[in-house]
Amino acid sequence: MPEFFPHHAARLSRREALARTGMGMGWLGAAALLGADAHAAGTQPAASAAPGLVPRTLEARPPHFPARARAVIHLFANGGPSHLDTFDRKVALEKYAGQDVPGTLPTERRTGAAFPSPFAFSRHGESGLEVSALFPSVARHADRLLVVRSMHADVPNHEPSLMLMNCGDPRLVRPAAGAWVTYGLGTENQNLPGFVSMCPGGYPIKGTENWRNAFLPGAFSGTYVDTKKRRVEELVEHIRHPLLAREAQRRQFDLTAALDKGHLDTRPHDPQLESRLASMELAWRMQAEAGEAFDVSREPQHVRDRYGDDVQGRQMLIARRLVERGVRYVQVWHGAGQPWDSHDEIEKNHGRLAGECDRAIGALLDDLVGLGLLESTLVIWGGEFGRTPTVELPMAGTDVKQVSGRDHNHHGFTMWLAGGGVKGGAVYGATDELGFKAVEKPVHVHDLQATTLHLLGLDHTRLTYRHSGRDFRLTDVHGRVITDWLA
Amino acid sequence: MPFTLTPPLQPPATRLRGGWQWLVALLLCGGAGGRGEAVDPPVTPAAEAQFEAQVRPLLVSRCQGCHGATKAESGLRLDSRASLLKGDDAGSIVSVGDPAASRLLTAIHRSGDSPMPPDEPLSAEEVAILEGWVAAGLPWSGPGADGQPAAAGVATDMEQRLREALVSHWSFAAPRRHVPPELKPAAEVKRWISPLDRFLAAGIAAAGLEPSPEAKPGELVRRVWFDLTGLPPPAAEVDAFGALPEGEREAAYAALVERLLAAPEHAEHWARKWLDLARYADTSGYALDKQDNRYPFAWTYRDWVVGALERDLPYDQFVVLQLAADRLQPPVPSTDLAALGFLTVGRTFLGNQHDIIDDRIDLVTRGLMGITVACARCHDHKYEPVTTADYYALHGIFASSHMPGELPVIATAAPGPEAAAYAEKLAELKAAIPVHEENVHLRGTRAAVSHAADYFFESARPSPRKPDNRPPRLADGYDLAQFLLDRTARLGEGRDAADPLLGPWIALRSKPDAEIAAAVTTLVAAWGDAPPAETINPLVRDEIRSAMPTTLRDVAEAYARLVMRVAPPWAGGPEPQASDTAELVALRKVLGEEGTTLVVARAEAMQLATIKEGIESRRLQKAVTQHEVEAAGGPQHAMVLLDTSPLVDSPILVRGNPGRPGEVVERRLPKLLGGTPADRQASGRLELARGIASADNPLTPRLIVNWVWTHHFGRGLVDTTGDLGLRGEAPSHPELLDDLSRRFVEEGHWSLRWLHREIVTSRAWRQTSAVSPALAQRDPDNQFYARANRRRLDWEAWRDSLLVAAGTLDLTRRGGPGMNPLAKTSLHRRTLYTRLDRQDVPGILRTFDIANPDTSVHTRSRTSVPQQSLVLLNAPLTLHAAAAAAARTEREVGPDAAPAARIERLWRDCLSRSPTLGELAAATAWMAAAGKEPLADDSQAAGDKQVAAEQQVASEKAPAEFGPWEQLAQALLATAEFQFID
Repeated sequence: MPEFFPHHAARLSRREALARTGMGMGWLGAAALLGADAHAAGTQPAASAAPGLVPRTLEARPPHFPARARAVIHLFANGGPSHLDTFDRKVALEKYAGQDVPGTLPTERRTGAAFPSPFAFSRHGESGLEVSALFPSVARHADRLLVVRSMHADVPNHEPSLMLMNCGDPRLVRPAAGAWVTYGLGTENQNLPGFVSMCPGGYPIKGTENWRNAFLPGAFSGTYVDTKKRRVEELVEHIRHPLLAREAQRRQFDLTAALDKGHLDTRPHDPQLESRLASMELAWRMQAEAGEAFDVSREPQHVRDRYGDDVQGRQMLIARRLVERGVRYVQVWHGAGQPWDSHDEIEKNHGRLAGECDRAIGALLDDLVGLGLLESTLVIWGGEFGRTPTVELPMAGTDVKQVSGRDHNHHGFTMWLAGGGVKGGAVYGATDELGFKAVEKPVHVHDLQATTLHLLGLDHTRLTYRHSGRDFRLTDVHGRVITDWLA
Repeated sequence: MPFTLTPPLQPPATRLRGGWQWLVALLLCGGAGGRGEAVDPPVTPAAEAQFEAQVRPLLVSRCQGCHGATKAESGLRLDSRASLLKGDDAGSIVSVGDPAASRLLTAIHRSGDSPMPPDEPLSAEEVAILEGWVAAGLPWSGPGADGQPAAAGVATDMEQRLREALVSHWSFAAPRRHVPPELKPAAEVKRWISPLDRFLAAGIAAAGLEPSPEAKPGELVRRVWFDLTGLPPPAAEVDAFGALPEGEREAAYAALVERLLAAPEHAEHWARKWLDLARYADTSGYALDKQDNRYPFAWTYRDWVVGALERDLPYDQFVVLQLAADRLQPPVPSTDLAALGFLTVGRTFLGNQHDIIDDRIDLVTRGLMGITVACARCHDHKYEPVTTADYYALHGIFASSHMPGELPVIATAAPGPEAAAYAEKLAELKAAIPVHEENVHLRGTRAAVSHAADYFFESARPSPRKPDNRPPRLADGYDLAQFLLDRTARLGEGRDAADPLLGPWIALRSKPDAEIAAAVTTLVAAWGDAPPAETINPLVRDEIRSAMPTTLRDVAEAYARLVMRVAPPWAGGPEPQASDTAELVALRKVLGEEGTTLVVARAEAMQLATIKEGIESRRLQKAVTQHEVEAAGGPQHAMVLLDTSPLVDSPILVRGNPGRPGEVVERRLPKLLGGTPADRQASGRLELARGIASADNPLTPRLIVNWVWTHHFGRGLVDTTGDLGLRGEAPSHPELLDDLSRRFVEEGHWSLRWLHREIVTSRAWRQTSAVSPALAQRDPDNQFYARANRRRLDWEAWRDSLLVAAGTLDLTRRGGPGMNPLAKTSLHRRTLYTRLDRQDVPGILRTFDIANPDTSVHTRSRTSVPQQSLVLLNAPLTLHAAAAAAARTEREVGPDAAPAARIERLWRDCLSRSPTLGELAAATAWMAAAGKEPLADDSQAAGDKQVAAEQQVASEKAPAEFGPWEQLAQALLATAEFQFID
């Protein structure tokens, strides 16, 4: 066999194996998807591939090197949660309360005096990690958290910061991290999407751009799920025939399958047709499995109670169910728009927001630990940036004299990671005395992305895609793996 | 440690590491130089050895990849001492002997904004070596030393790279005609006689393969229909063709090709492919709060493309119109201005001009020529012979072009009440915008004038700023505007202390308060009692004399009072009178008229807007857009790009950073295309268009020929359809591609129809797609074109086919604003005529691999995912089509017909053929068994009813009736046969 037909082997062996085993369509389903089209037959390594050999399917692929994590759950507190009121306590703010302070940096809006956190902090776990009263349930897992207090981004605006966090570039059209990861690794359950982005009640700011595939093949685009909806057929598009019961649809499906088989029999040696028929089989199974995965009513009542019978509880529970079933990348947004954007009344607003999600996040971590999934699942919590230690002043032209909120702050903020091979009970880096700027061991968003890929067994400099004559990657020409985070 | 003559001395401020002390010692002993001077150290054998052993390997392995002979990012090369001393685009990078002051060290210490090397940091040891080397004065020996060329054997600069590439890279040389190979008799017999066929036949024979026989008549008709029109043929036509005697088929086929090529459906089908290349969408992308991102008239471009293909506009003219329709003489018909939508229907990146221009540069270079220039935005291209200068020369062309606020009208609606109502409402909505701007102008100017003293004072003596650098907020809550502060600071420009109006301000504004009183006294004394008006304006003199300011604040307030005396009445000043004195008029000219410092011109009003006023402004604009998109009866506009006035040349932006402008480049074509300069009196788009659409351009004809080929054959002669550059694939059949490209221009006169005809009448294209065992074994990827490639229908052809089967498609309805692709109301329109929001591409379209509308796409990716099958199984679109197809067959055969007749009909409507006996039997049996089971389980149906009632979208979600016939129709529409072209 000539070497310049590298996918030849996989294709023949598939057909031969089919003949040998004599198994029916079900087996063919799994096998034929290996070569979903003429360009992508065979098992492709995750490494960057020459044009024409790039992975286009969701079939699981080996990483560049042994992975610590096999899945990611990214809890996106969109809008920008305040690090100063959650995981980065600053006593200096109490000292300077109400005073103008040096070190005020430019942010989106005008800010004034130092604004101490209205929330009490306490130490938790053996590590003695400091967490504010906003996150008591998360705090129970203090010894599993790696709190990165020295995150920084590029600009103090939501749109570019969301794009940077998700897609690695503030403005240009680039694929989301979840798309890169599924491009690199495929996914473990072919009956479910590989990259799911859940946001209750609508889209976050920037909408579908947050989970886009951009120039990567469409298979790697995030599947959006509106978790405000409760019924399975509303959660997952086209998951169920709106009019036919399963048995009736089975009869119909069998007829199509029989016609297809006749078609295939007269057209041998065509991997495209084979994979098309396989994908029908898969879709059929997906109807059952996806319906099941997204249906939290199948969980016992006591489990649902632990998460809380509300939107956040449901979506965290779905996140767990998806990861359990081999979904590669799950993003959980707090809500439509930018809920964590507390320019005003931070005490009230952050109190409410944390109150909505803390319990569910705690329960999610409980279950991941209990199911033994945490070590292979990287949980990431954070926003697109943090908030200012100084109080936001009212805008010109408004009469509102509220001075109770914080402006955006990209100079320094906190994210935490758990599981997936990162250290627990640890703090990495620090902001300045007031919490304005990351000064000790600063971590750029690209570094977080490089390290996330590293944990998944991917080298961020080698996970590339040829487009417009250039090899693109998530971290562009930036990013460094922070080995200090590794457990 | 090498031997030293004297004990090492170490300059106190220089930390030396890495074993370089000895060199510094030599330097100091020799008395040569001090820190900061470029001096040539004596390069001793020891220094030479250390340079060769430690420094050169580092420079070669870690730096010269990007800063060397093959490319010089940021203009920096590190392969000779001279180029190192020259530095990069931003200037010097080393201070000889002073590592601490050298940017090179900042970069390798990774402490600045461009850490180097970008990927893997240097080790501490390596950093120390370079640090010591800089401290030692950069001793360099051998190649690259002063007076010696850099390491030999490599191209030295971009010019040379260009020269080499022009000679060595296949696509940069003009395509040549080639004589097609002589045929073997066997091929002659099979009539592989066209040039295209002979090139392919030769390759097939050389590979030891046999061409495949022609596709069966039915397959061929179906294939040519889909390929040329994107639609399935009627079953009767397939039958008629198959029934022809063999001898008549050839002529019938040729006639069929001509008929299809002339059909408007052909233009529609290929227009959609072109729209992928043109990254067409109906929205501008992300919208801010209260912004409407819809383009009301993008569709006029789409319709223009259809029209141009329908009249077979030669491809060169097709391109020129899309780049420069506004620049042609004599002027083109106004309808052709719509062609410029090619440039303007892209994403607008929230108005970021550099990103918009980048998108357009990529479109015209990669989109039309398959060469990537956009990489040169930040650095000289890593692979292609394209420099940042080439990029910014094109940048200037697009920076000299803009989309006007008022788009030209290219067609009006029929006069009547609808058109009148449209115009009236539009006028009303548009009128609200200047009213709002007027209000902003009023409020903003009043506030500015009433804070005039603060502006004067702050501009002369800025208060300390917080690090956020915002201008101060005043006690009354007013935020000084930086925009106005800058204007106030410029107040004295072109005037001096002798100016009769501003002289005192200019003289006093830089003085400390302690000196003001004395200076004022001196001034007043110098004026005397009756100075001439040329010396000092009496109003200014009176103001100062009566106030006798002792502080700068006092002076500012005196001038603020002067401002109030001449401010416009609407901003709080007195009404001008005919009796106003000459001095008052003179004062008004400088401090009171519109366009003066604090009284900004009306056109600049929005500079004064608060955040709220800005949002209101967007809301008003949104209402206009909404009306233009949604209301009927309006005129059609062309989304043109016109030359700006004045025209500009763009500076090279160092590393693409708008904050770091470098050398200005005159507008011209890239050097690769000859570098033709732009007409200095125009943007240069016309030269660009002519340079691209030129028979001498080696890339353009090859790109379009290969593009058309790819869409017909399912793979390209060059597999990277959009990349003909150094990183692209080489052509599989270079002589064929070259010959066909030349013939396309010379014989076909750029006619795309000619090209389609050449291809679909070829024997190669008409082969069967059946894969013989021999081919499966020896050419599984069909590299040699010894058979046809089976292809899946793309989203548009698939949806259109569904609607053809359903009998709902109305092919006579062409053009006009786009419809919602998923709404039941659009089931009669071709998919081309649906609208696409690039910001929110529906999942179903992405699932079916539509082109990413943010970048020029030559060929779509082809994925096979279960979500596609879920659409076949469950999507409302499929269900509606199935229900309509079932109803259609009933109409066609009548209610009393036997099931077999209706089944036969269904097959013919859906698959353009009659069922086989086996299929007929299976379907009949299936129908007989149907209806004996419950259709829906009750709980689910109940749930659906509830949701339907809640959402009031029952009819959108699913058809009302879904009995056995509907199910059978859906089963047929879900088959692979329906979705694939043999």
